[in-house]
Amino acid sequence: MSRLTLESLERAPSPAVAAPGAQVLVCSATECVSVRARAVREALETEIRKRGLGDRVEIVATGCHGLCARGPVCVVQPDGVFYERLTPNEVPHLVESHFVQGRPYADLLYHENGAGGTLACERDIPFFAKQSRLAFRNRGRLDPESLDAAIASGAYQALRGALRAGASGDQLVAQLVRSGLRGRGGGGYPTGLKWQAALEAARARNVRPVVVCNADAGGGVAVMDRIIVESDPHLVIEGLALGALALGAVEGFVYIRLEYALALARLQRAVAQAREAGLLGTGILGTAFDFDLAVHRGAGAFVCGESTALIASLEGRAPEPRATYVHSAVEGYRGLPTVVNNVETWANVPAIVRDGPEAFASIGTGDVSASPWRGNSGTKVFSLLGAVRNTGIVEVPMGTTLRELVFDIGGGMAKGRAFKAAQIGGPSGGVLPASALDLPLDFDTLAEAGSMMGSGGLIVMDDRTCMVEAARYSVDFLAEESCGKCTPCRDGLVALRGVLERITLGEGRESDLALLEDLCDTIGEGSLCGLGETAPNPVRSTLRHFRAEYETHVREHRCPGGVCKALIRYTIEANCTGCTSCAKQCPTGAITGEDKKLHHIQQDLCIKCGSCFDVCHDDAVLIR
Amino acid sequence: MIPVTIDGQRLEVEPGTTILAAAKQAGIAIPTLCDSPLVSASGMCRVCSVEVTDGRPGRVVTACNYPLHEPTVVATRSERALRTRRGVVELMLARWPNVPVVLELARDLGLSEARFTHPKRNLNSKACILCGLCVRLCDEGVWHHVLAFEGRGDDRRVVMPFGTQNATCVGCMACANICPTGAITFSGDPNDPVDAARIRRAGSELTREVVLLDRQQCHMREVGTAHLVEVMNDYDLLPVHNYRFGAHADTHKIASDKFKKVFTQGVADGCSLGCDMGCAKAVEGHVLRTGPDKGKKVLVDGPEYETAAGCGSNIGVFEPWVIVELNYYCDHYGVDTISYGTLTAFVMECFEAGVLDLERTGGLDLRFGSFDGALELLHQMARGEGFGLIAGQGVRRMKGIFAERFGADPAYLQDIGMEAKGLEYSEYVTKESLAQQGGYGIALKGAQHDEAWLIFMDMVNKQIPTFEDKAEALHYFPMWRTWFGLNGLCKLLWNDVEPEDNGTSGAPAKVPAHVRGYCEFVAGMTGREVTPDDLIVQSERVYNFQRVFNLKAGFGRRAHDVIPYRSQGPVTAEEYVSRQERYDKQLKEEIGLDPTAMTLDERRAALRKYREDRYQSLLDAVYKRRGWTSDGIPTLAKVRSLGLDKVEGLVELLAAHGVTE
Repeated sequence: MSRLTLESLERAPSPAVAAPGAQVLVCSATECVSVRARAVREALETEIRKRGLGDRVEIVATGCHGLCARGPVCVVQPDGVFYERLTPNEVPHLVESHFVQGRPYADLLYHENGAGGTLACERDIPFFAKQSRLAFRNRGRLDPESLDAAIASGAYQALRGALRAGASGDQLVAQLVRSGLRGRGGGGYPTGLKWQAALEAARARNVRPVVVCNADAGGGVAVMDRIIVESDPHLVIEGLALGALALGAVEGFVYIRLEYALALARLQRAVAQAREAGLLGTGILGTAFDFDLAVHRGAGAFVCGESTALIASLEGRAPEPRATYVHSAVEGYRGLPTVVNNVETWANVPAIVRDGPEAFASIGTGDVSASPWRGNSGTKVFSLLGAVRNTGIVEVPMGTTLRELVFDIGGGMAKGRAFKAAQIGGPSGGVLPASALDLPLDFDTLAEAGSMMGSGGLIVMDDRTCMVEAARYSVDFLAEESCGKCTPCRDGLVALRGVLERITLGEGRESDLALLEDLCDTIGEGSLCGLGETAPNPVRSTLRHFRAEYETHVREHRCPGGVCKALIRYTIEANCTGCTSCAKQCPTGAITGEDKKLHHIQQDLCIKCGSCFDVCHDDAVLIR
Repeated sequence: MIPVTIDGQRLEVEPGTTILAAAKQAGIAIPTLCDSPLVSASGMCRVCSVEVTDGRPGRVVTACNYPLHEPTVVATRSERALRTRRGVVELMLARWPNVPVVLELARDLGLSEARFTHPKRNLNSKACILCGLCVRLCDEGVWHHVLAFEGRGDDRRVVMPFGTQNATCVGCMACANICPTGAITFSGDPNDPVDAARIRRAGSELTREVVLLDRQQCHMREVGTAHLVEVMNDYDLLPVHNYRFGAHADTHKIASDKFKKVFTQGVADGCSLGCDMGCAKAVEGHVLRTGPDKGKKVLVDGPEYETAAGCGSNIGVFEPWVIVELNYYCDHYGVDTISYGTLTAFVMECFEAGVLDLERTGGLDLRFGSFDGALELLHQMARGEGFGLIAGQGVRRMKGIFAERFGADPAYLQDIGMEAKGLEYSEYVTKESLAQQGGYGIALKGAQHDEAWLIFMDMVNKQIPTFEDKAEALHYFPMWRTWFGLNGLCKLLWNDVEPEDNGTSGAPAKVPAHVRGYCEFVAGMTGREVTPDDLIVQSERVYNFQRVFNLKAGFGRRAHDVIPYRSQGPVTAEEYVSRQERYDKQLKEEIGLDPTAMTLDERRAALRKYREDRYQSLLDAVYKRRGWTSDGIPTLAKVRSLGLDKVEGLVELLAAHGVTE
């Protein structure tokens, strides 16, 4: 693409002008690719070509659609027909039905589990219908590898507008403050205030600030930042460019985890495209604005969610945080004022600049006019995981209830089990019980309830979950990810894990609950950075909401969730029909019994893997 | 100032003061473990946790690195603070139950044992407790960056990265000495000292002073000796225009803050392995503007003070880049920057006085401040071309050449040609310090200050008023400084950093605590106890032998200890007038003349006679103190007392020069 100017970008095709003919928008994000989306796309291309439909059907490899549980997925435009669980073998039937016979291919339409019917159109499916689109606004619509496609969808128009209007740093920062945008990476710090602090520090010292996008978020749960980069990299670049314009930065970084191969490749391609088109580099869009972006690959340390650790890594040192008594907005990368925001935060910036802060503030809850700390504006992207039917990436207005997320968008509990709890905010998020289902999900409500927004990982747990084990699992992860710099986090988490372990082994003592609370206090109060400060959340919240479960482990040596192997026993009850499924499944040959007769589990051979339980159709396997 | 309340006690502190420092001011002790004044605060151990209230909700912070910028209420022993502290120490106790510093903290907090077990429990009483003092000291203090943390979570440990013995480690032992548990040990010292621990104790004291005090004293770690430029200017000692003056209005342009900006900071200099001072500075990325390497980006080793003054103020150059460029080419060509600077200053004065002109210099403009001419002169010297062929022979030979070929007045050339025994003067103006005139004049190798630098003792602090006092200084200091040469040690650590209490040591110029440290060093290395006096005798033996060697080579008599008058007083009327008040005062108060009744020439003549006579009296006093004859030759008694009479032919040599007793 030749270099764009303010004028030529203004004349770019508007989003309203749709492409002629039909488009098959095939998801090409990591999740769908991992279930052979590429093969499906190739099969579609072959089939369309074979049938001579090439001139009226276009196959587009898009970013994530969000409904990962049902991948590979695609949407056929202009009608918006949604197909799920595509396979290369089914493609000829789909093409035959949809494009030749002109009726949706029923076999791959969205199946509402248990509801008995199928829904053809994306707009009718609750998963999509109940969501909002802001940070993830081009979800499933855009070829993430094409700058033309991005521009046709309106990319860089906010930047163009700000440059055309000659917006000053103060004006842009004021817009951010008024919008009520708060950091989507975890802390919920008002983004505008962070920018303001950097702007002031830079002016006072006559230096140029640095803007950084944290695209390292992970912890195995929160994948939305990776998905946004994979699906709409130019949105993130535009957000950073607007930040640089506001702050007077000429240098920016995207810190991205090396293992996010697809996101990394697409980001690098997008940065190169933007540079070539005059959207990065010197004289952006033909103006005097200079800003360039370097993509920095991180080795994947959870602690890089801490901006000071991330900055240390950017500087070429081991990612260890430092005390934030002086914020990185004031003294960060190489001592310069540094604004670190995560992907989702940057992705919200263009809309705020383009449509005005009031439009953004009107979404969500809270009252930003009272204080930047009171706003819960805009949307939040969640990574919805665990025991719900529709796991995936979802974006909802701030203040949406957990119930709406789980039961409407999430399609309810998988396998018809009961909702027990949800852990929000990743491994260091607190666990909320069923009584919290109607709480609005926003920064402040979650904090009050003992959880946190975090970066928006949301794991739904059903009644077959042990809360002690769930806490142990999180603490184990955090102990592994602790950088080890400060004592409470390094040795406290190990001690905490030890106590939780012995409870799950049935070796807990009555005094252990108080000990857990003490350790949580030491870690939470004493740790150097946010990782340690929030690490006790899973333990504290489960102690608060599921204390009885701990007590049952300690006093009765019983695991009510039926998970802790040392405390449970699988048995086969009289209603066993003798189908032999369980015996065939058992990896240790612990199940004996003749065909059509009651089976029996030899306890000394049983390793409590639960295979028999999962395979039994008659609910004859019980956990005691 | 920021009002702060600590445990109910109110005080005011400078903005940015840490809670720990503020508490210390208030006399309140907060326990610490990973904190040391030698390194930056890191907040690793969390033992110094306290509770603060500053308008935001109360919270626990670490006192060591929490800066006070607004009115703050601190509780060092609130329930919350103590609970956190106790919790932290309990964790340490679980992991390192036998380490004394941990046990002590636990005892103070009323903990006897941990309520849980740690999977990495270590029963060693000298276990590493991951406080990171060693890592930080090696990084920030020693600049060797040999140590690092490896692994994360409870796998964290202190290592030389990649588990290899890092060749950069020089065994300075700063890490072992700061370690609170004794976890770091040292093996295989190739020098095989008799008592390594004794050497390390002395060494670690020096490390402490360098890391802690240099930033308040000489800033050697930041700017090296270049800090002297402005100091010398302030005391009228910076040579300007061939030593005519001691200060210049443009000195600020070549002051140390200008060099600090171009010096690479925070790296070990490789000058002397393991030296914590690291004062040898370098300019990286200097792009040469002249000479054979023009346009090349180079690393320049320096400039030191002597180079800044010699290639700067003394030749009227106040452009840092010129000094850096001259520094580079002198190094490149193998030319000494002091000799180059002083001989160029002489040439420039001759040029301005009409002894030289463009024709005689082959077209080189060599007025003071002409840096194009100065640079080209250096290139010509190196190439052996043009006027460089003459200048390259040095001041002593130039004096002869200028008189012979250009008809210049030999007496005038002798007065302004700054050399003694053929060696160009180093860069200090000595006019007002008789002792330093002697320091230059009597020095064995010629006019160099490395035997004695007495200007402050003599001129500023007036500690050595009489001839005998000066003679004593000119005995002790040359012998002491010779001792560094005997042992291959650097003198800078002796007195370019000083203990806090040096001022009250009775003999601050000698830095007695450091002299005792060197005795410890000798004793630790050799196993022989020595006193400071013993060290002086070691030097005297060598020094007197060298004087006799000079004698044999034709340089060892009183006649060779002459110095140019420029180093003693004002040669020209212009110089006299520039410091007239000072000189008139001396005529009046010390000589008893009335300057107002005298012409300027009469005043100059009277002052010169007085000063030259005093120099001769000084020589008498020094020779006597050193046990030499009035001709400056060691007496037989002196030679015998040092055992030098056993040197073959030495007694005969003395006898040949009339010394028989």
